Parts: sequence; structure tokens; C-alpha cells
Amino acid sequence: MKKTILVLFLFILAIALIGCSNSSSGNTDSGKDNGKSQKIVKKEGKDITIAVADNFISMDPHDTNDTLSYSAQKTMMEGLVGFDKDMNVIPVLAKEYSANDEATEFTFKLQEGVKFHDGTPFNAEAVKANLDRLSDPDSKLIRASLFQIIKETKVVDEYTVKVTLSEPFGAMINTFAHPAGMMISPKALKEYGNDVSQHPVGTGPYVFKEWQPGDYLTATKNEEYWNTSGDEVDSITFKPTPENGSRIAMLQTGEADFIYPVPTEQAKSINNKDGIVVENSPSIVTRYMAMNTMKKPFNDIKVRQAINYAINKEAFINVVVNGYAEPMDSVIAPNTKFYSKQDPYKFDLEKAKKLMKEAGYEEGFETTLWGGNNSASTKAMEFIQQQLDQINIKVEVVPMESGTLSDSIWSVENPDDAKLEMYYGGWSPSTGDADWGIRPLLGGKSAFPPNSYNTAYYDEEEVNNLIEDALATADEGKREQAYADAQKKLWDDVPWAFLAVDDTIFGKKNYLEGIYLLPDGSLSLENMKIVQ
Amino acid sequence: MSQAAELTTDQTLSSPEVKKSTPLRGFWRKFRKQRLALVSGVFIVLLLGVAAIGPAIAPYTIDQPDYANVLQGPSLEHLAGTDTYGRDIFSRIIGGARISLFVGLLSVFLGAVVGTFLGLISGFYGKWLDSIIMRICDVLFAFPGILLAIGIIAILGPGLENVIIAVAIFNIPSFARIVRSSAISIKSTVYVEATKSIGAVNARIIWKHIFPGTVSSIIVYITMRIGTAILTAASLSFLGLGAQPPSPEWGAMLSNGRDYLNTAPHVTIFPGLAIFITVLAFNLLGDGLRDALDPKIKE
Repeated sequence: MKKTILVLFLFILAIALIGCSNSSSGNTDSGKDNGKSQKIVKKEGKDITIAVADNFISMDPHDTNDTLSYSAQKTMMEGLVGFDKDMNVIPVLAKEYSANDEATEFTFKLQEGVKFHDGTPFNAEAVKANLDRLSDPDSKLIRASLFQIIKETKVVDEYTVKVTLSEPFGAMINTFAHPAGMMISPKALKEYGNDVSQHPVGTGPYVFKEWQPGDYLTATKNEEYWNTSGDEVDSITFKPTPENGSRIAMLQTGEADFIYPVPTEQAKSINNKDGIVVENSPSIVTRYMAMNTMKKPFNDIKVRQAINYAINKEAFINVVVNGYAEPMDSVIAPNTKFYSKQDPYKFDLEKAKKLMKEAGYEEGFETTLWGGNNSASTKAMEFIQQQLDQINIKVEVVPMESGTLSDSIWSVENPDDAKLEMYYGGWSPSTGDADWGIRPLLGGKSAFPPNSYNTAYYDEEEVNNLIEDALATADEGKREQAYADAQKKLWDDVPWAFLAVDDTIFGKKNYLEGIYLLPDGSLSLENMKIVQ
Repeated sequence: MSQAAELTTDQTLSSPEVKKSTPLRGFWRKFRKQRLALVSGVFIVLLLGVAAIGPAIAPYTIDQPDYANVLQGPSLEHLAGTDTYGRDIFSRIIGGARISLFVGLLSVFLGAVVGTFLGLISGFYGKWLDSIIMRICDVLFAFPGILLAIGIIAILGPGLENVIIAVAIFNIPSFARIVRSSAISIKSTVYVEATKSIGAVNARIIWKHIFPGTVSSIIVYITMRIGTAILTAASLSFLGLGAQPPSPEWGAMLSNGRDYLNTAPHVTIFPGLAIFITVLAFNLLGDGLRDALDPKIKE
């Protein structure tokens, strides 16, 4: 009996040691070649499987607020306008579009001869049915807030629609390009009502077949697709696979042809093996740490500057996301419309210490940092804790489960009662426009929790006015100027510790082409091809 | 030769004292034969020593990040490699020994004190008091330990203090049960009857005459439970409910490394080994103690 224990013990020890020696050899050979040398592996059949990290919530684009559900919907549905690879607005179901100077009237000329999957023709009436549904304040749809500004949608002729807004809104064309603006067949809307979330019918290149929530979702090729596309793929199956390890195993064994996201820790070690290619590109997702500017000591700009100087952003990126990010150089990411580059706060401990001294906090202070409890965000917060320790700020890291977190932040009615001191968060402005990257996060009192996401409780008249000016016009030049000024002011006022812009990162088998992630993290596969 | 003779005479001379076998001597004689338990005991004493002086002998500062050397494999410079932030894992394991042992010992001790008290009064007084206490224990027993602990943490909030409380609470019923059964059998022995008949008050009977009889089973059970307690505390920290960063608690270290299982397994292997060996040592020691203290096992 005792001998058995001893033997067992030695056995485990041996395994542990073998594991270690593997790791040290594994570290050296990563990232040697660049992947082109790999032979293209063989693909059986034309059915593609995509493993994703979460479950789909809804197939009704008007009632969806997660990027992942949009990714699946976009295989089956299309909007009047959409985004290209760099988040520029491009025409899709609308041939062309125009707006008046006040940004109150938008006219769309529609593609002709397009049919929904159920045979219903796509025309001005269909657009009106969709926009009326979206702008109806009683609809209780999640995305109604984006479109409530629409006063009236008028059918001009069979292929022309005119949308009138109740007030000027310069970012409206980007709102139309948001996946929430995708068109559902009016017949399906009538037939299923809000159950349309289980029966998506659109105009896209793939037709909905089956959805077992939590298990898989399948769409098959649309034989009558109006637009040219790679017609090489017969069907697409999405499989939600939350466990990072299983997702990677699926790609390695060929059970999945495409996975995302790829955990950054393993990106290098799976790249260029088994016909796998890992690709990353800059996203529009920003990572920041908001500081409650209404609270001591963060009401002192010198403290906020000191914190920005004390954090080494390059090290942050290496430690937290293994290099798959870029340092932030404005409050919005470079791929966001109207981005203007600012001068980065370079890591400088001496300067940080000096600023702390000037602010009267040479001895530092104690504070708390809130954030999510997933391993990436805990890692980031722990890193910030280590960095701020260098200027004597003792940070207590409080990782919270998402329900608790939103309760703690967004149930505060009176900003003076907010317990929030520092908050580590991220933001992906899905309209791709500066407006949605700035206004909900730093747009003054109206954006304070619980209404919106201004966790820095930042309220500066100059910025508020600039945001308003930018929205009151459709003139691109004027909007650009206003957002440039706003970004400058925000950068100088440092309501956040500016950290990083994430990369999107996916893994695919090397026979797949024409499939990529948009900077907002949603999937684009309209032109997917299998290359043998 | 003559020396040996001297020795034997020495022994015979002092033999009257040796033969007056006290319980402690008898225990030691039996325990000495449990080699594995002895080794475990020595290991635990060493570990306690490490926990006591901890950071002083660690080669690096526990919380000192070194971003130029993250996720390094084991080497002479870093015996167990470095973690995500470039901190020396070996030093952190040494630092974490104090936390893990403290949590394990204190939580079991607290549970033992409360459980023993409940078990004694339950066994001694019997009737409705016994029923109430034992039914409550049944309720607590119905939950799997870790689930009960998670439930308690959910009410109290995360943190090491609350982990100690949670683990203590789920230890209470086991101690209460064991002590109760000993108390019941001791209660009906002749010497307790005799004490009763000369008019000793209940408190005195419980404390002076019944409690000492239960001590051996309590000690054995404490050593057995410490292993489980350390494991539970580590599990809770792994789930993010226990020790908060940057604490080098072993479970928290494991959780820190789980993203790197494929690429840098040493980050999890070494804290895992530390937990494994410590828990094994406590369990082997517990086994040895049980064999040594059990009067039914013949020499």
C-alpha cells in the first residue's frame, strides 16, 4: 500500500518534469518561419465549421447587442450600407445614398431585383417595414435606441427611400451601417412577430437552416444570391466552444476550419503547424482604466497624469495580451472614423513621481480598482497594481463577476454616491464612428451611469459642446474638426489611463480564403473560398 | 564489547522507569514504526519552519515583477521558472506556504473547536438537543463540501478570512459527529458513572472525564482534515473566491497559470506539486497517527 503511494508519487513527479522540459523546448521554436512555407492541407467536402467562444443570443439583428450574434446574422442578412475591412461605410443593399447638409434627411437608392430568402422582393416597402419596426419606441427592441431618432421613413418610389430625422445627427449613416440596421423579410416579420429571432430571413449569401442554442447553428448556400460571391462553400456551421483549449484542439484536428478568438497565449505555438494560420489585425476595441474625476484624489489632473506616466504600455501589452495590441494614442482607436493621433504619455517614472509630489501625494494613497473577473482582465488589473506601486499608490484589485460589476457601477443613481474609484474596461464602438466611441463614455452628465458608460464621471463643457457640434452637421470636414478638438482636449485632461487597442485574432486552416474579422470583432465571410 | 555490556546494564538499571508506560510513550513507540508518517511529519515540521521564516529564505522578492523575463522555464537562476509577470515562482511558493498552512490549520482548528463542543453536549445530554444538533449536521452533510463553501462565500463575499470561515463551517459537522459518538460510549463507562455518583456537575464530567477520551480521535481527524482544508482553500482561490491578487496563495497561482497550460506548464505544475505534496503529507501523517493512537490495533 505504502509502496504504491511512493511509486505513484514518483510517477507524477516524472510527468511533471517531462512537462517542464517540453515547455522550455517549446518556447524556442515559436515564430521562426512565416507560414507561407506550409503546404495547403486537404479539405474534404465544402462544409465549413466555425468554432466561437460564446453562445449566440438572438438571430434578430434589431434585438441583439452582442457582436457574436451579429457575426452569424451577417451570413444571412444585409443592411442598406455596411462596413469594409477598415470600417469605411460601403453601399450594400442601397446602390447609393445621400444626406442633406443639416444631417436630417437621408435618401437611399436601392438595388433592384434582390429577393429575400422566402421569395419576398426587397424594395422600399421592405425598408420602411424594417425602419418602422426599429424606430417604434414601444417595440422594446434592444437596438431601438439607435434608431429612435428617425421621425419618418417615406417610400418615394419602388426603389427609393427617404428617411427623416427628428433632429440633426451627423453619425446617422454609420448607424445605418451598424449590423442592427440589417433588413429582415417583411413577410417573416409579420408571420413570426418577435419570434423572428428564431427564424432569420434576410437577403444574404447563406440561408438559415437550423439553430440548436448552445450547440450549433447552420446556414446553407443561397443559390439565388443577388451579389457575386465565392460560391465554393455549401454550408456554414457555427459551434459555440467556450473552452479555449477545446477550440484550439478543434482547429488542430480539422473539426473546425476557423476559430476565434484565438487565446493570445497560444497563438504563436499553434501558428504554422497542421496547416493552421493565425492572423491578427488592429481592432477598434480600446482598453482603458477610467478614474472617477469627481473623487479625490483623481479630481487632480496631476495625479491622473502621473498615473498615465507610471504605466508602461509596452510591458502591459506584452504581459496582458502577449503582444497582440497597440498602445492607445487617442481616446478612440485608429480604425474609428475621425480618429486623430495624439502625443503618447511615454513611460517616465521620474516625471510621474514629480507630478505626484506637486499634487501633494508624494507618500501615495490607497485606492481600489474594479473590473471583470475573467483571467485577461484580472491579469491587466494586477499589472496596473504593480505599476502604480512604483509611485506609492497602493491599489486593491477587485475582480467582480459581471452581474456584480454592473450592479456596483450602473445601479448608482446619484453620482456623488458612486463608490467607483478606478475601473478597468474596454469599449468597441460598433458604428465605427467617433461619436459612439466618445459620447457614451465621456459625454458629460447625460452619459453618467446608470444612463450610459461615463465611468470617469467626466463632465467638461468644452467637450460636450464639441460633441454636440459634430452631431449637428453632416459636413464631414466640420465633424472631423470638432472630433479632433475633442480628442485633443480629452487626451490632455486624462480622464482615463490610456492603455491599448486590442488586436482581433483568429485561426484558420490555410485552405480558407476571404474570411476575416472586422475591426469591431465581427466576422466577415461573404467572399469565403476554399482553395485546394 | 565491554561498552555494549555497559549499555545493557544501563538499560536494565533505568528499565523500571521505561516500563512505566505513559500513553505518550506508547504512542511514540507505535508511531515510530510508521516510516511514511514519520517522514511526512518531518516534512510538515520543515514546511512550518519555511512558513514561519518564509520571505527571508526566498531567493527573490515575492511581488517583484520583471517584465523582461516573463514565463521563463525552470533554470538555475529561477528554480521553478517565472510567471506571467516575471516573478520567481519558487519564491512565491515559499511565500504561499505561510498562507496555505495558515488557512488550513486555522480553519480546521476553528471547525474542531466548535464541532467538539457541539459533539460533547450532543452526546452527553442526548434527547432533543442531540436531535437538533445532529439534524443540522445532516443538513450540512447533504451539501458537497466545496459547494457549501462557495455558498458561504457567496453570502460573505470573497477573501481569505471568509474562506477560513467557510471551510471551518463545513468542518464543524464532521467533528461534531465523531466527538458525539466517542462521548456517548464514554458516557456509559463505569468511571463516568462513578464520577456522577459522587456528585460531580455536568460541566466537570464533560470537561474532565469525557473530553480527554475524545482527544485522540480529534487529533487524528484534525490532521486528516487539514489536507482537505488546504485543498478546498486552494480550490476557492483558484475560482477567484479566496486570496486576491497579488497574493501568492497556491490556488491563486494555479489559476494564474491556467491560461499557459500548453505553452508554459511550469507555472501551474510547481504550485500544483506544492499543494499535492503538502496535502499528501498531512494525509499520510493522519493515517500514521490513527494507527498509532488506535488502542484496537495491536503492536
